[in-house]
Amino acid sequence: MPTWPTDRLRRLPGSAKPSPDGPLVLLGRDGRRRVVMAADAHAQALGIRPGMAATQAHALVPDLPALAADPAEDTAALHRLAQWAQKHYSPIVAADPPDGLLIDATGATHLAGGPQAMLAGLVDRLTATGIQARAAMAATIGAAHALARSKANPILVACDPGALVDLPIAALRLPGGIVAGLHRLGFEYIGALEATPRAPLALRFGQEPGRRLDQAFGRRAEPITPVTTPDTPQIHRVFAEPIAAAETLALCTAELTAALCAVLDSKCLGARRLDLLFHRVDAGIAAIRIGTAKPARDAKHLARLLCAQLESIDPGFGIEAMTLSAPIAEPLTFQPATSRLGEAPVADIAGLIDTLANRVGTAGLYRLTPVESDIPERAMYKIAPLAPPTLLRWPPNWPRPPRLLAPPEPVETMALLPDNPPVQFTWRGIRRRIRRADGPERLYGEWHRHEAERDAVRDYFQVEDETGQRFWLFRAGDGTHPETGSHRWFLHGLFG
Amino acid sequence: MRYAELQCASHFSFLWGASSCEALFAEAAALGIGALAITDRNSLAGIVRAHEAARTSGVRLIVGCRLELRDGAVVLVYPRDRSAYARLCRLLSAGKKRAGKAGCDLGWDDLATHAEGLFAVLVPDLPDAVCAGQLRQVATIFGRRGHMALTLRRRPGDQLRLHQLGGLAAQARVRPVVTGDVLYHHPDQRMLHDVVTCVRLGCSIDDLGFQRARFADRHLKAAAEMHRLYARYPDALAAGLDIAEACRFSLAELAYQYPEEAILPGLTAQQTLARFTWEGARARYPEGVPDAVAAILRHELALIEQLNYAAYFLTVHSIVRYARSQDILCQGRGSAANSAVCYVLGITSIDPRRHDLLFERFISQEREEPPDIDVDFEHEQRETVMQFVFNTYGRDHAALCATVIRYRSRGALRDVGKVLGLPEDLIKSLSSQVWGWSSEAVELKHAEDLNLNLDDPRLRLALQLARALIGTPRHLSQHPGGFVLTRDRLDELVPIEPAAMADRQVIEWDKDDIETLKFMKVDCLALGMLSCMKRSFDLLSEHKDITLDLATIPAEDPRTYAMIRRADTLGTFQIESRAQMSMLPRLKPRTFYDLVIQVAIVRPGPIQGDMVHPYLRRREGKEKVEYPTPELERALSKTLGVPLFQEQAMRVAIECAGFTPGEADQLRRAMATFKHTGGVVNFREKLGAGMVARGYSADFAARIVGQLEGFGSYGFPESHAASFALIAYASAWLKCWHPDVFCAALLNAQPMGFYAPAQIVRDARDHGVEIRPVCVNASRWDCTLETGTREAGTGEAGTGDMFAVRLGLRMVQGLGNAEAAKLVSARTQRPYHALDELYRRAGIPVASLMHLAEADAFRPSLGLARREALWALKALRDDSLPLFANTPEQREPGVNLPAMTDGREVVEDYAVIGLSLRQHPLFFLREILGQQTFQTCAAATGQRDGRTVKLAGLVLVRQRPGTATGVTFITIEDETGFANLVVWADLFEKQRRLVLGARILGVEGRVQREGEVVHIIAHHLHDFTDALAKVGQRDAIRVQTRDFR
Repeated sequence: MPTWPTDRLRRLPGSAKPSPDGPLVLLGRDGRRRVVMAADAHAQALGIRPGMAATQAHALVPDLPALAADPAEDTAALHRLAQWAQKHYSPIVAADPPDGLLIDATGATHLAGGPQAMLAGLVDRLTATGIQARAAMAATIGAAHALARSKANPILVACDPGALVDLPIAALRLPGGIVAGLHRLGFEYIGALEATPRAPLALRFGQEPGRRLDQAFGRRAEPITPVTTPDTPQIHRVFAEPIAAAETLALCTAELTAALCAVLDSKCLGARRLDLLFHRVDAGIAAIRIGTAKPARDAKHLARLLCAQLESIDPGFGIEAMTLSAPIAEPLTFQPATSRLGEAPVADIAGLIDTLANRVGTAGLYRLTPVESDIPERAMYKIAPLAPPTLLRWPPNWPRPPRLLAPPEPVETMALLPDNPPVQFTWRGIRRRIRRADGPERLYGEWHRHEAERDAVRDYFQVEDETGQRFWLFRAGDGTHPETGSHRWFLHGLFG
Repeated sequence: MRYAELQCASHFSFLWGASSCEALFAEAAALGIGALAITDRNSLAGIVRAHEAARTSGVRLIVGCRLELRDGAVVLVYPRDRSAYARLCRLLSAGKKRAGKAGCDLGWDDLATHAEGLFAVLVPDLPDAVCAGQLRQVATIFGRRGHMALTLRRRPGDQLRLHQLGGLAAQARVRPVVTGDVLYHHPDQRMLHDVVTCVRLGCSIDDLGFQRARFADRHLKAAAEMHRLYARYPDALAAGLDIAEACRFSLAELAYQYPEEAILPGLTAQQTLARFTWEGARARYPEGVPDAVAAILRHELALIEQLNYAAYFLTVHSIVRYARSQDILCQGRGSAANSAVCYVLGITSIDPRRHDLLFERFISQEREEPPDIDVDFEHEQRETVMQFVFNTYGRDHAALCATVIRYRSRGALRDVGKVLGLPEDLIKSLSSQVWGWSSEAVELKHAEDLNLNLDDPRLRLALQLARALIGTPRHLSQHPGGFVLTRDRLDELVPIEPAAMADRQVIEWDKDDIETLKFMKVDCLALGMLSCMKRSFDLLSEHKDITLDLATIPAEDPRTYAMIRRADTLGTFQIESRAQMSMLPRLKPRTFYDLVIQVAIVRPGPIQGDMVHPYLRRREGKEKVEYPTPELERALSKTLGVPLFQEQAMRVAIECAGFTPGEADQLRRAMATFKHTGGVVNFREKLGAGMVARGYSADFAARIVGQLEGFGSYGFPESHAASFALIAYASAWLKCWHPDVFCAALLNAQPMGFYAPAQIVRDARDHGVEIRPVCVNASRWDCTLETGTREAGTGEAGTGDMFAVRLGLRMVQGLGNAEAAKLVSARTQRPYHALDELYRRAGIPVASLMHLAEADAFRPSLGLARREALWALKALRDDSLPLFANTPEQREPGVNLPAMTDGREVVEDYAVIGLSLRQHPLFFLREILGQQTFQTCAAATGQRDGRTVKLAGLVLVRQRPGTATGVTFITIEDETGFANLVVWADLFEKQRRLVLGARILGVEGRVQREGEVVHIIAHHLHDFTDALAKVGQRDAIRVQTRDFR
């Protein structure tokens, strides 16, 4: 599949899908350069080749649509394609990253009507879904690999190993360094390499060329490791007669959880997500999904999390089967409780967080961490509740109010220019006379983020009113230059 | 309201301050600040510029420095007087010496030992115990001269902080003083300041975070504004004025003293010089010193005595004498060549009898400026001379000048691009749109040419900031050879820092600063051509038994001039450039003086001043030479009424416009610094009026004035042109009579000049020199001369026996000198006869042998083709067991490696040794080119004027002279010859990428024939670089292209 990465993207559903007609390239990084990682047929027709510098490609084709390359996702998708092929063609199928599939068709061709028909059918099906493909069948993996990439058009069934000799040595699956070295010495084709005595070759280039030649010509076996569908830890329980009582459901949930935890334990895994499915007698399915902050396989804890949501289940006329699976499971090993005698154990709040999160949702649960920015709105960042602490601290002697108003609210004030604090201000209809003030603290816009912030200045004042309440006010602009801001006043935060 | 700003960093606080001294002082003047202190970080590098800027702006400069101590304390210091300044310089020198290049390591104890006469201002951070401790230190060390800075930071708790600091200062009895902590002159510079901060920290703007300067308002503020802001601290405001009042030291007080020269016992420097002079004169004129020369010498000696420059001449004399004693070739140049004294002392080779020299150009009474003698040495031997200078005058009295490295367009774009997070390749392709060394900024339209998205604000910002960054100093580097010598300790005049190179030390000021302060400087420069000449002379005496030096080369040789007139000057000095070559057939030099004019005329100055064409017309007799007055005839008769040299400009000013010699020299200096100040304009009226007053027509005066203005900074003094012409003649003579020697010497002196080895070798072969390939059994590191069989009939008649040039191992790319030396020394017993034997005997790593194999060095004597040698080498291991080292190799089955195609061989040749003795690369493209109706260069340049032609060739040289028209010259070459392309500005803009990038260029254009000179005016260009890759079926050919501006 010569244009697999771009073809794959074109098959994506939704608005992310690139336009089908124009050229498309995928850009990635090679060291510090940005290069074209993949180019579709249109782009190649315009002279763009993988490996070309991104700027060169842009210079060749104005407004070239380009997306970020994602080799990991390409490989993953290739594995999924292999799983599909396994269902349809042969039990032994493997992905051959970056752009191929390996199918051991031994004893499987008759189902598709012979080798020719099988390859033709395969290529047709792929082409119909928008994937460019070429296929070759040969006696060895090496030969098929080489032929599919250099001779098949679009399909080829080769019985004769001699078909290989006039192919370039790059088709041999050799590392780039060896291919370059062989080129330097004038070896261009597989035939020439095959005709060369093996010992001198091995002395100079190691075992690899010989091994690949042997594999291509069938002198050395090469096994295929077929794809498998990854097995999710899962427990399925069918009941003799339908159940519906909440206590029974809770009991069964606990049983299932204990069984699943045993499975997880045997695999040294902990669940990050549990799906509990209730198969009702009317063929409907109800489901509960819970998540955990850390991998967990504490049956009691997990059962409690599941049971907490049981009330949302409508058992209908009864439930005849339940399935509990852990779609996301991560390795979980044992940890010593404390490292030193007499040291108070660190409280593990993971359980509490799980309970809270499954009630209010994960989005509502976070910690704040500083961001290196002078703009108060940008000076913090939400992180997961159990994320490791960052080293960053806000400067201690530059106080910031614990509560920020988002967005800052305009206030009516009276203040002397250029840098005096206001005498009084009116916020939400209440007028406050200012007794004490500190400032201005001058903050500049981050010119590199937004053009609008280039000249922007805010002068912040910490003020205290007659009742002792403290406020954080700012004036947009530096009080002298009109381009720095509107000179209007805002309340941005409240001190405790 | 008066205010003195005491804390201000210029951009000589490298990558920290963001404004130039000129901008700071201009702004200070506009804001009503009475005195401004420049306090750069651990440095006085910008202080001379500040001194100048202060003079122009009228704001007084307070010399100062910001010292960052080892424990993190920051102290500003200001010398009260000359001796305090000396202590400050010594303090900085000591810190720099301790810390090494670009660092400074100082502690409180250092400060204490140098504190006398210095006013100090502590820059506190928070009012805490640390600050209290520092205040105590300041009080102890500086007493009443110690102060503490009060600065608003525009951060929370500002006023409280000042209040508490004030309290601490009162406790320690240190007087507070208001400072502005200025980093840039205007608030608009803030973005640029963020950028340079990122460059300094090596991070991108998005990662800068809290590392950026977080205290706000770091620009200069008006005096009234400062009084308003610090109204609560009237005493601290007054303290600033008090310091300013007390620190009246000015750089003008630096009295420079030239070192006493080693003097003959009982004689003064002047007497010694006189004695040397007359001795030298007798040696130069064995038949007796001519009266005219004796008169000149007496005049010069008198002037030297009057100005007390004898020691300076003795210095240069002793350096030159030392170089001669070490057999190092050298020659004086520049204005020094105007001096007859220099000639008789052997510093220059320009005979005052033959040249009407104007000594006033060299030193003048009125300008009270030191003379400036430049001496060129062989570039490989210069270090010896420099160490001699260091050792003779002592490291406390001699140091090199600095050179301020400033941002140019590419560097600015690269750094700004990195800071703004533009991808590397985008920066690269953007910067490929401008010439490497230019200060021309990358414009939006260049980005447009690359199909870049101009709506991207980052890209626009990057281009804008890069433009602002151009010209900002980045760091100090060392001047190639400008020495400052002093009698008193040098480190009391200026801080000295160790250079990156061992055993060298550099002062903080550059040559313009030195000139401003009237220091004397001796320039020991390196000249590649002198190395080449020296190598030639050595080869001549070794192989041909001819002993020559620069002075004894046969003068006025007609055959040499014939060759020069044919523009057959590739590889010679100065007259080898495209512009020079195209001028030679028109100027037709027949005598040495023609050559002097040739060197001087092909310069941007005369070209811009429109002097070339009038001169050529008059020379060819097409225009009558007229002189309105005899004075003008005296001044300009040598150059047919067209002023070509700076001296002539001065003489015109003196004799026709009534200038005094001193004024004329000011005119000359104004011309030289025309670029910076436009100062010529000030003289224009005086010049014009003076000429009209003396009876010249206004029209004529205006023309002369216009021509003089055109000189700009580019005109040559005649003496300088004469020095260069001498070397040009010597190299041409060698090329003419001994092309074999010249070729070998030139190859060994690479890289230098305009041409790559491929063209030098090709040119030598065209002159009948046999070139032999690199060979493991014959080559040495350098290219050598070999006798031996040569095909009959190819040599030129009358040159005696011609030697063959054997290419040296230095041509092999990647091969180290040490490995090559091992190979050669192991060979001395007996030649190698097999590869594995060579490997064992020479004991050099396989990787080096690989380089040799790729250079095809095993073919000539071992008969191994490139691939065969590589094949054999691949089998060798550096870690093979010694036990088996001497056993014969195991029998291997024979392997038939496919032979390389001829085209591939040539591509490989170019890739490894940069030239090929086989075919020209274009030969292999001829078929493809022929199909597309491209002609050969020879055929195309043979066409008649005005014909449209298509031709293609390898790009040899791209040149864009600094003239205003923006024309680009490209020389291309194919197997039949050269062709000279002219690319006008509009085509350049249209096909910019191709003009700057292509290695093989196809051209559609029109022939322009001007006598013997043929140019192809390009209309459209094609890029054939990829076609060549096909010849080699692999990597594109790498041909070294020389690009010049």
